[in-house]
Amino acid sequence: MNKPKLIYSSAVASSLAIVFVAAITIVAELQVPLKDWLKSLSGHHWVSKGILSFLLYVVAVFVMYAVTKNVDRKKTKGALWVTIITTILGSLALLTFFTGHHLGWY
Amino acid sequence: MLEILLSKPVLIGLHLAFAIIGIDAFLWLLGEIKNDSWRKARLYWSAIVGVTAFILSWLSGGYYYVKYYGGLVKPIIQKGLAPWAHNIIMETKEHIFLFIIPLALTALFITFLDKEEFEKLNIKWVSMILVVLIVGLGLVIGAMGFTISAAARWGVQ
Repeated sequence: MNKPKLIYSSAVASSLAIVFVAAITIVAELQVPLKDWLKSLSGHHWVSKGILSFLLYVVAVFVMYAVTKNVDRKKTKGALWVTIITTILGSLALLTFFTGHHLGWY
Repeated sequence: MLEILLSKPVLIGLHLAFAIIGIDAFLWLLGEIKNDSWRKARLYWSAIVGVTAFILSWLSGGYYYVKYYGGLVKPIIQKGLAPWAHNIIMETKEHIFLFIIPLALTALFITFLDKEEFEKLNIKWVSMILVVLIVGLGLVIGAMGFTISAAARWGVQ
């Protein structure tokens, strides 16, 4: 097992999963058919988001691990920083969206 | 026995207890990464405990959320004095929680490295910040949970 490649793949997959959760959550709040579709998958939109995001993470780890050729320290470090920034921005995006939604900004 | 295990107070207790264990395990991991001696077994087991605890917290909290929260707690909060506790805090909390498992697994994979590999990659600071972020998210989610519970308890008074 190439351990740096696994870390890199997991970091990229985490970023993708976080962007997916933030994006599908916001879009589904604004587009009722999407939220209904998520509900129809498992019986609850949050459960569906959890399953889909974890599946996306697992698949992305395998795909990134398979397709990435060389992982050096710059790539590994960069992917970890992107994951950290994505997490912070994703959290702030959700907080801002639900605050605006509650206050009737849109 | 299963009836007690899946009851509301026990589920909430398990959700919180596993989250606290997860946060503590990642704080332990933070100390181990900061320590230059790179004690592999300690690094590995602290991350394993942390990942396992967060998964169990996710499952117990998720079961409570799906089974009881929407039908019993959410209506009380929304009709009470602090409907924002659900509309902003709970909605944000339940989705941010989904970020934690991939982040925790990434931290776990870092502990697979040998000392030489870790030093060669030069990822000590970014690894520590990743673990601080996991701990920070856990603490923020805990504070959000307290706010939601308080809104349900006192929202109608």
